[in-house]
Amino acid sequence: MNAEQIGLWAGFVFTLMIFSYILGDNILYRLAVYVFAGLAAGYITLVTVEGVLLPWLRGTLLSPGAVGVGGQILGIVPFVLGLLLLLKGSPRLGPLGNLAIAFIVAVGTAVALVGAITGTLLPLAAATGSSVRIDLVNGFLIFIGVSSTLVYFQYLARRQPGGEIRRGLVVRAIGALGQGVVVVTLGAIYAGAILTSLTIFSERIGFILARITGG
Amino acid sequence: MRRLGAVITSALVIGIGLLTVAGLVVGGDLGWLSAIVEAFRIRDISSIFLQLATITAATTILIGILNLLVVHLRRVGRREKGWGYSLLLVLSALAVIVLAVLERAGVLKGEPALTTILFESVQVSIESALAGLVLFALVFGAYRLMRRGVSWPKLLFVLALLLVLLAALPLSAPGLLTSARDWLLAVPVSAGARGILLGIALATVVTGVRVLIGLDRSYRE
Repeated sequence: MNAEQIGLWAGFVFTLMIFSYILGDNILYRLAVYVFAGLAAGYITLVTVEGVLLPWLRGTLLSPGAVGVGGQILGIVPFVLGLLLLLKGSPRLGPLGNLAIAFIVAVGTAVALVGAITGTLLPLAAATGSSVRIDLVNGFLIFIGVSSTLVYFQYLARRQPGGEIRRGLVVRAIGALGQGVVVVTLGAIYAGAILTSLTIFSERIGFILARITGG
Repeated sequence: MRRLGAVITSALVIGIGLLTVAGLVVGGDLGWLSAIVEAFRIRDISSIFLQLATITAATTILIGILNLLVVHLRRVGRREKGWGYSLLLVLSALAVIVLAVLERAGVLKGEPALTTILFESVQVSIESALAGLVLFALVFGAYRLMRRGVSWPKLLFVLALLLVLLAALPLSAPGLLTSARDWLLAVPVSAGARGILLGIALATVVTGVRVLIGLDRSYRE
């Protein structure tokens, strides 16, 4: 039996251990889950080191001739920031860790902001507008659906003379339509999730049967 | 001193954030704005910031994994409840790392590599089995939905769910069911998904702008 066959049998055993959860939480399931977490941690370490950190080190700290002193200092910066994050646990030196957090938050916010505008807002708004031109009836329905969904997500309301805070009748009516659209969307997505997991489940059953029958 | 630190942190976020946005957004056809970006090489600065943030994030991932291993090793050392599971987790992680090091050093040879076999046979098998297990949770969740009273949103949810599921059945004459499913996915579901995504994007923009103009300073806590 070679390493590949041993791997296949190991996969078979671990699949059964995971499926044993159908009968309730048990030791076999927990063993498999802890092995999974350990393997995942190991692979994430490998990918992070080999795919991200080593190329960075080779391009900066480990090639002083190509990048100069400035490049080498730049090469140390992310590791210093990482070490600063470790200081967050200390009550006295904790504020130093905020510098690293600030840097990550600043760049992350900028990327999220630009991504949201150029990757979601503009393309989806343009697609919704153009769908009316492509198919008048369905395009108009899509436009109504998108608008009512957005109205459903807003919580602006007026204070009534009695002190009660209520949304206007028109906004409530459009919001109710939006709620319906959101619910239908979530129902369809839920069905998609069921179909996907059913496909994966049947593939796993096929794998188990193939192992048993020697296929 | 603490106050000065807070001011420096806010200034860093605003400065770095705005420079990164400028480098990412401003193209070559925005007149004087493009000229400033070109003159001060803001695009290069923005690119360096992105690289530094990526490497810092990778470093934090490694720190996180190190912390995971230390926490579980501590559990093993103190013989706490479930220490056997912790030992298994640590051994699994170390096994992958040691195997990879031996392979890179040329000690372990063979095609496909042992780490690849371990990944494809064990890791992927467990992942797939867990994803398959989700089926039971989803079906049970859908079954329980209507047991706590019927309301029109619940009814709509179940109707959409059933329509998509029934239309997926391999019937000999699907006709109306498939057409209804296709229309549902193309019109209301598409509209709802767009609305949800637009809502998320709008919320991201609002929060992002609040952070970049210094109104939201939760990172200082």
